[in-house]
Amino acid sequence: MSQVRGPISASFPSDREARTDVTDSPVVALDDITVRAGASTILRGVDLVVAPGEAVGVFGSNGAGKTTLLRVVATLWEPSSGTGAVFGTDIAGPGRYDVRFRIGMIGHIPALYPELTLRENLRFVARVRGIDDGEVDRVLTAVGLANAADRKVVDCSHGMQRRSEFAREMMLEPDLLLLDEPHAALDPSAVELVNHLAARVTARRGAVLIVSHDLERAGDVVSRTERIEGGRFA
Amino acid sequence: MTAPLWPQIKAVTGRDLSRERRSGEVAWVTIPFGAIALLLIPLAVGADIPLLRRIGPGLFWAVVMLFGILIAVRRTAAETGAQRDLVALLGIDPAAGFAGKAVASAVLLVGFELIVGVVAVLLYDIDLTRWPWLLVIVPGVAIGLALLGTLTSSIAANLDSGAALIPFLVAPLSVPLLLGATQALDPLRPSNGILPWVMLLLAVDLVLAIAGVLTARPLQETR
Amino acid sequence: MTSTRMDAVPRSWLDVAAILAVVVALGFAFLSPPDSSQGEVARLFYVHLPVILGAYLAFLVNFVASALYLGSRNLRWDHWAVSGAEVGVVLTGLTLGIGMLWAKPTWGVFWTWSARLTLTAIMFFVYLGYLTLRRATNDQRSRAFRSAIFGMLAIIQIPLVHFSVSIWRDIHQQPTVLRPDGAQMDDVLRNALLAGIIAYGLVTAALLRRRYHLARIQSLVDLELEQGGGDLAGEAISPPTLPGDQSEVSS
Repeated sequence: MSQVRGPISASFPSDREARTDVTDSPVVALDDITVRAGASTILRGVDLVVAPGEAVGVFGSNGAGKTTLLRVVATLWEPSSGTGAVFGTDIAGPGRYDVRFRIGMIGHIPALYPELTLRENLRFVARVRGIDDGEVDRVLTAVGLANAADRKVVDCSHGMQRRSEFAREMMLEPDLLLLDEPHAALDPSAVELVNHLAARVTARRGAVLIVSHDLERAGDVVSRTERIEGGRFA
Repeated sequence: MTAPLWPQIKAVTGRDLSRERRSGEVAWVTIPFGAIALLLIPLAVGADIPLLRRIGPGLFWAVVMLFGILIAVRRTAAETGAQRDLVALLGIDPAAGFAGKAVASAVLLVGFELIVGVVAVLLYDIDLTRWPWLLVIVPGVAIGLALLGTLTSSIAANLDSGAALIPFLVAPLSVPLLLGATQALDPLRPSNGILPWVMLLLAVDLVLAIAGVLTARPLQETR
Repeated sequence: MTSTRMDAVPRSWLDVAAILAVVVALGFAFLSPPDSSQGEVARLFYVHLPVILGAYLAFLVNFVASALYLGSRNLRWDHWAVSGAEVGVVLTGLTLGIGMLWAKPTWGVFWTWSARLTLTAIMFFVYLGYLTLRRATNDQRSRAFRSAIFGMLAIIQIPLVHFSVSIWRDIHQQPTVLRPDGAQMDDVLRNALLAGIIAYGLVTAALLRRRYHLARIQSLVDLELEQGGGDLAGEAISPPTLPGDQSEVSS
């Protein structure tokens, strides 16, 4: 996969070094995962392995279970049956709290506080993680939001909100990046952000999992695609 | 890596207080709403000054309970799934998240009590002979209501009717706090009878704090 | 699932005993002499007090079952917990209703703002809130966990209600039975009251048992639906077919 270069990536600070704990063990390993909610089954017998350095695209129609799959991998939704591991840690076990900080997720609904400014949202994240406030300004500049940093989220367009989430993940540098419909609401220049972010993670021997309808745009980023229909991989 | 517990609490408290600073909901809506309630009651019961002087303290605490609930639950009840996911993936310890939210709510509630309290003293000519006890009771009630609101909001999180349900759950459970405050400051109560009620208030706060911390993690995972 | 588990709750000696005991208790109540000051209406006491004691018992069952559920996560305890709450709410409502019927001829009003009455009414709403919380939660394990925590908090209402007449000067009668120096009543009246307490205690137990079985059956039905796979969530969505379009639009 080629390195994506452009004004945005060129302005970003130097990459974090590759993970020193990397082995060839899968970053994500799901085995026969089933997820039920009440009387409905959302995922049925899903198997998925994502190796270090891989970016996997999962495509499917509405209601196929893509977002649920992402939340299971993020250890935010305990499966009804089956086994799964992220970084070798059981996704349903007590150890899952200790790996969550290595996971970054950008969902299709922004995880932002609407009353706060873009900068304040990122500062909150920085303070939780002990990151210097200067990083906040650097990442906002990198994604092209320097002039909008003091705008409240509620006053920002969906595209701007999405960019700020990319800025957040740039700052946090997760080892596993989960993206739900990442290209939605992004203009062509901002699409480069998705590619850049994914490339940074895989270059560090992390992994990326993208769920999307947009096979064409996501195809630039991923090294492998899977199709999910009716709650299982086709 | 996640930061130690205390910085997490500070970050969550700072976030919630910043949200209030930006929105001004407590300052510009809830406090005036509480003051209006104190103004309306004499219109309903009659402007009998001795009567109002006698019932004034109780009315004040009732307004604190009923309107304070809005402060204690508003933020947590309105939290979206995406925001909760972010908090979980940032690695914020659920107990730290609980404590941070409760501290922020308590700070806002103290402000609410002080401002609406001034209004109550002016409107109802309340006797402040026992004012030193207020230095314990005002924060005690604020902390208790904040803990109760945050805990109950966590219990009812992710439920479709959560926003409407939570105040209904909190209101009757706040009775021990109401009793502690009103009984302690009852002018007819001898001085040596105040301490047990203050102890009740503080005991309720302690129980709620322990319950909140112990249940924070499993409640965060409950869908 | 075996047919036995889905059968209606079998009749048991508890139901029969409860009915018989109520008949006996009512007999005692009507045969005991009328109150010297309140007259015949005071016979309501022989139902009013036992019913609220039954409510206390039911709420205590809720508390203990909630604690046991939190410790074991066994849904059986959740069935007992909801039984306790529902039966307790019904009995508390009944207590308040009987109390109001008694209050009107005795005090001249249906309701006074005494601490005992007010806190009893608040206790009613606390547990009504518990039931409302359960109604709002679809997943049974999530429902059991959330309501177990709430049930542990709600129990504070019972000592508040019981000791309210001791703490505040109250128009309501002081404790008659549950007091440190024992019950203060004539033997005839005490026997009638005791018969009532036993009878409504059996009624409470019978109601708890029946409600437990209902909860258990409902839980088994829900579990069968879950394990049977149910509908596939995505099957509710199909490709749109627009008017005038001969071919289906692919998703």
